[in-house]
Amino acid sequence: MSGQILEAVSIYLTPNIPIEPISQGAEAVVFTTSVHPYEPKQESSETSNKYILKYRPPKKYRHPSIDKALTKHRTLSESRILAKLSQLPGLNVPKLIACDVYNGCIWIEFLGEELPNGNGFSSLKNFLWMSASDPHNKCVETVLEKVGRQIGLLHWNEYCHGDLTTSNVVLQQSDGVWEPYLIDFGLGSATTFVEDKGVDLYVLERAVDSTHSRYAVTYNEWLMRGYKAVYHEQSKKGENRLREVLKRFEEVRLRGRKRSMIG
Amino acid sequence: MLSYSIPQFDSFDIHATLFTDVENMKALLAQVAVLPFAMIDASTILSLEQLFCAVYKALIESKYNRLRTKNLNSECILSLSPTSNIAEAFRRFGIKEDTKNIVCLMVVEKSEQNVLEGVFKEQIEGREEELSDENLKATVSWDAIKKVSENNL
Ligand SMILES: Nc1ncnc2c1ncn2[C@@H]1O[C@H](COP(=O)(O)O)[C@@H](O)[C@H]1O
Repeated sequence: MSGQILEAVSIYLTPNIPIEPISQGAEAVVFTTSVHPYEPKQESSETSNKYILKYRPPKKYRHPSIDKALTKHRTLSESRILAKLSQLPGLNVPKLIACDVYNGCIWIEFLGEELPNGNGFSSLKNFLWMSASDPHNKCVETVLEKVGRQIGLLHWNEYCHGDLTTSNVVLQQSDGVWEPYLIDFGLGSATTFVEDKGVDLYVLERAVDSTHSRYAVTYNEWLMRGYKAVYHEQSKKGENRLREVLKRFEEVRLRGRKRSMIG
Repeated sequence: MLSYSIPQFDSFDIHATLFTDVENMKALLAQVAVLPFAMIDASTILSLEQLFCAVYKALIESKYNRLRTKNLNSECILSLSPTSNIAEAFRRFGIKEDTKNIVCLMVVEKSEQNVLEGVFKEQIEGREEELSDENLKATVSWDAIKKVSENNL
C-alpha cells in the first residue's frame, strides 16, 4: 500500500485510531481497526472488537473539485445501499456503522473468521478451496444454496451487487452453521433492469468457473437452486420474473462467450 | 451524567444525561435558544447508539463541511433527523409543551470543562436518571419513533 495513502488516512483518523491495512482495490483501501468511531470505550469488555474501515483516497489525476464530488457520491451511494439492504428481512449484509462522505470513509461491521486448519479467512472462495478434497459434501451444498438464496433475495428486491465474486461472499458461523453474507456494495445499485441481474449471475458463474473449475458445474447448480427457490416462493409473479432473469442470464452468457472468442 | 469523547475528535467532551418528570417545561421552552446545551424529547430516543451516532455526525459536519445550525448542540438535533429540514428536526426531536422526559446533551471544547458542573441540574426541574439503554427503553415512545422516522432514509 502506498505510504501516502496510509499517511493521509492516519492523519485523518488521529493516533487514537490505529489501523491495519487488509486490502487495496482500484477505488478503495480497506483497513481493520479495534476502535469504534463513536461509541464510548467499553472498559469491561475483554474481547477486542474489530471494524472495517473503507477509505476512498483522493485521486491526484482528477480535478480536486470533481474528485471531491465523485468521492462524496460514491461513498454516499455505498452507504445508502448498505443501510437499505440491512432493512430487508432475511438478507445478510454487514451493518453500516458510520460514514464521512467528505473524506470518503465508511465504517462497517467486520464479518467472518479464520477457517479451521489454517485455511485462511472465511470468504466463500477460501471455503471452497478448503472443501476441495471433499467437494460434494452436504455442507458445501447447503452453503452454496444459501448463497444463491441471498443473491435471489437481493435481486427479488430490485438490487444488484455489481461485483459478485467468491471473495465478496463472507461466511460466518452462527450456532455452528455457516451463514453467507454479501459484502462490498461499492458497485451496487437499486435497479429494475433484468440486464443487471443477468450480469450479476454471469459474473458469479465465471468466478466459480475460474477458481474452482473441476466442480464448477455442480457448484453453479447448487447456487442457482437457492437462487430460484426465492422466486418460486413468490408465486406467479415470481415465476414470471425468474423466467425473464434466466433468459437474460443465458443471453449474457452467450455474449460473453462470443466476446472471449474474439478477443 | 454520562461523559465521554470521540477518538477522532478528542478535543471535545460530550456530556449527556436524562431527566424524567420535568416540571418546568414552559420555562425551558422559553429558553431553548439560549441554554448552552441541547434538549431532546426523550420519547424520540431509543438507544445510546442513536444518540452517539448523531453526535459523531454533527462533529463530522462541523469539521469537514459546515454547521447547518447555530452551534454543535443544535447540530446534534439536526443529525438525529432523517431529513435535512432544520425546522422539522427541531419540531420532531426538540422538546414540546407536553414533553415529560428530556435528554440533555452538550458538546464542548475540552478547555471549557470547568464551567460545566451542574449546568443541566441548574436549569431542569426533574429527576436525573442514569443515561442508559435500559432507562431510554422506559422513556421511548414507539409512536414517536415511527413519526420521526417515517421519512425513512
Ligand atoms: N465487512 C467486512 N468484513 C470482513 N472483511 C471485509 C469486509 N468488507 C471488506 N472486507 C475485506 O476487504 C476486502 C476488500 O473489500 P471491498 O473493497 O469492500 O471488496 C474483501 O475482499 C474482504 O476480504
